[in-house]
Amino acid sequence: MNQTKNLIDENGRRTDGRNPDELRQIKITVGVVKNADGSAFIEFGRNKIIAAVYGPREVHPKHMALPDRCILRCRYHMSPFSTDTRKNPAPSRREVEISKVMRESLEPALILEDYPRAAIDLFVEVLQADGGSRCAGITAASIALADAGINMRDIVSACAAGKIDNKIVLDINDTEDKEGGADMPVAYMPHLEQVTLLQLDGILTPEQFNECLDKAIGGCNMVYEIQRQALMQKYFGNETELKEEQ
Amino acid sequence: MQEIKRKYVVPGDKVIEGNFRPLMNVIKAGNSIIATRIGIAETGRDGVKVIPLSGVYIPRVNDIVIGKIIDHSSLSWEVDVNSCFSAHLPAQDVFGRDFSPARDDMGRQLAIGDLIAARIIAFDRTRDPMLTIQDKDLGKIPRGELLKISATRVPRLIGKRGSMIQTIEQATQTRILIGQNGIVVVMGRNLDGIKLSIRAIKMVEEEAHTANLTQRVKALLNVPDSPQAESSSVTQTQNNQKGEEIQSTIEEVEEEKIEGGNA
Amino acid sequence: MSSSKRSTIIVEHLRKQQMWDAISKGKRLDGRNLNETRSIEIEQDIIKKANGSAKVKLGNSEVVAGVKVETGEPFEGLENKGALILSAEVLPTASPYSEPGPPDEETIELARVVDRGIRESYMIDLDKLVLVPGKIVYTIFVDCSVINTDGNLFDATSYAVVSALVSSKLPVFEIQDGKVVDTGNKQDPPITTIPISITAVRIGDVVILDPTAEEEACMDARITITTNSNGHYTALQKGSTGAFTVEQIKKAADIARIKGEEIRNKLKELPKTG
Repeated sequence: MNQTKNLIDENGRRTDGRNPDELRQIKITVGVVKNADGSAFIEFGRNKIIAAVYGPREVHPKHMALPDRCILRCRYHMSPFSTDTRKNPAPSRREVEISKVMRESLEPALILEDYPRAAIDLFVEVLQADGGSRCAGITAASIALADAGINMRDIVSACAAGKIDNKIVLDINDTEDKEGGADMPVAYMPHLEQVTLLQLDGILTPEQFNECLDKAIGGCNMVYEIQRQALMQKYFGNETELKEEQ
Repeated sequence: MQEIKRKYVVPGDKVIEGNFRPLMNVIKAGNSIIATRIGIAETGRDGVKVIPLSGVYIPRVNDIVIGKIIDHSSLSWEVDVNSCFSAHLPAQDVFGRDFSPARDDMGRQLAIGDLIAARIIAFDRTRDPMLTIQDKDLGKIPRGELLKISATRVPRLIGKRGSMIQTIEQATQTRILIGQNGIVVVMGRNLDGIKLSIRAIKMVEEEAHTANLTQRVKALLNVPDSPQAESSSVTQTQNNQKGEEIQSTIEEVEEEKIEGGNA
Repeated sequence: MSSSKRSTIIVEHLRKQQMWDAISKGKRLDGRNLNETRSIEIEQDIIKKANGSAKVKLGNSEVVAGVKVETGEPFEGLENKGALILSAEVLPTASPYSEPGPPDEETIELARVVDRGIRESYMIDLDKLVLVPGKIVYTIFVDCSVINTDGNLFDATSYAVVSALVSSKLPVFEIQDGKVVDTGNKQDPPITTIPISITAVRIGDVVILDPTAEEEACMDARITITTNSNGHYTALQKGSTGAFTVEQIKKAADIARIKGEEIRNKLKELPKTG
């Protein structure tokens, strides 16, 4: 796709001032929705997203329950005021697809066999979107699931990489997504080193593809550190080391 | 004193490497033991476990729970036990073997909205929990202040052999019923005592994972910080059940060190 | 079709009894007086992509409102007025009982009652938002997302909408060569009054203000009363399956006017209120 404007200037800086390998600023607050069993609020660049978990809980309607494991239901939804142009509140095809891939990115990390005949409901609400909202949503959802005390094999961290001005960069924002050459969101389990979400929009040569994937995984690892820090902060305060009695 | 290594963990964290037995809230991955919950990981001689700090209550057989009647069919009451499954109390448990729906009025015994203390007598992966109220100290709870705490904090609230809860009861002249499902009822005549009791319970809930909690609770209650003599109390039955099963909490380490001098 | 829903929250008898005892002595279970509202926290301009926004926490009830301004056709019969469209969604995050899906009758009532409070008071002077009379007008969308509910969504949502509107910056559109163009300038919204809604419920013979979810589960009837800056009544809605005496309604209306003024003053003190 031909670009009409320069997304990287002569000094190597992007439209928002970042370097090609720089993540946007991320801030995570745990336990923000009082009624939910687990929740998190994430600010990822200008994305503002809430993830809330209810579960494990009873399945309604009952016939949807599985005898040997829990079911995971996921809804990704954008508030009408979250985008540049007002969005109709009814679920769009894009939201339905993202709900599906989001669920499939988190299921591998959950030990669903521990909760037979129950359901875990995950709701990701986008209050403001600015490129990479599905990655930010997965990142917040992962924390919400841990906050809810659901048995997990690993945390899931998500980050996108992309191509702008024919260069591979980390974590593309809304402008770069619209004007750039490729967008590759990735979700990753950092300890198990496994990819649970991978999508691509755009055109990449084989070298660019490898570079893009590696860069996104590097981004996921950076995101993980922030997720872990947020959980430790909420549960253990400023004590990162458990103090034994003297 | 046995060597127990502890640390704070979140899901995915490696607790330890080596041939250890995975006990609770951990999984074996290759040569490592991985935590699956947020909590305090403990590695001891008998294995590795994580004491969780969050999570919905999952029923266990023999747990004492406090539940709310929310419905009834012709043969049993449906009870909300603050879990992912509704529990059932069979009418026969209350009326006896020869219960007859035509003759016996279920609503008279237990109405929707009533609170009961019950024991889980059956629960497995294929069916909802089943309750009984036929033991001592079980049955309808007619009055008291109702609180909900996280079920994961209940062991800490009870304390080793009931020590924490008894400290609070005695200092505030209240009787406290604790369900393993996190529902707590505080009963007493003195309004101030009840309020103080509730503050102490909330403090334990919030700081369950920290050190020196007993000291701070005693300070709140204006109780001198000395070894607690075990005294019998009406809540002993349920406290002992769970209290004795708690082998290692930070509390225990403190008390052992204090009591070591008095042995 | 509307039919009685089995109440989803079953309040323990213990709690109900304590609630009645406390109320008969003039107090509520959370320590408040009968006419006391919970703390109100308001944050404006939290959604930068919107023309205006606000997050309100009324006790534990939390609502976000966002304002988006576009152009479009006027409503039929209102050819010389800008269009105001208000909608609300109780997100499935809000409580264990909220389900995703199209709005149910309670959510629709919520949106329409809040809308009435804003529209009937002429809070926004829609006459000033016309580009081409009869053809192109400003369309103001106000959308509300309820994030967490602990009762009284009517007031929480209304305060969020009012806070979002007073702090919003509208685009300035022009017609150039027969096309609508955003000049890039910004204008303050034409605000004429600040409507404040106050909701009360009846439990037994007592009427209390700003109910929690637990109090709503025990209520016999509910009433929402909206007043404007002149202390005049502009919208009313009685809800739930019980009834009020005429005396109770008149008294509630009086209190709503006085309390409304208190909250109006609080809103005026906010930094971003135009």
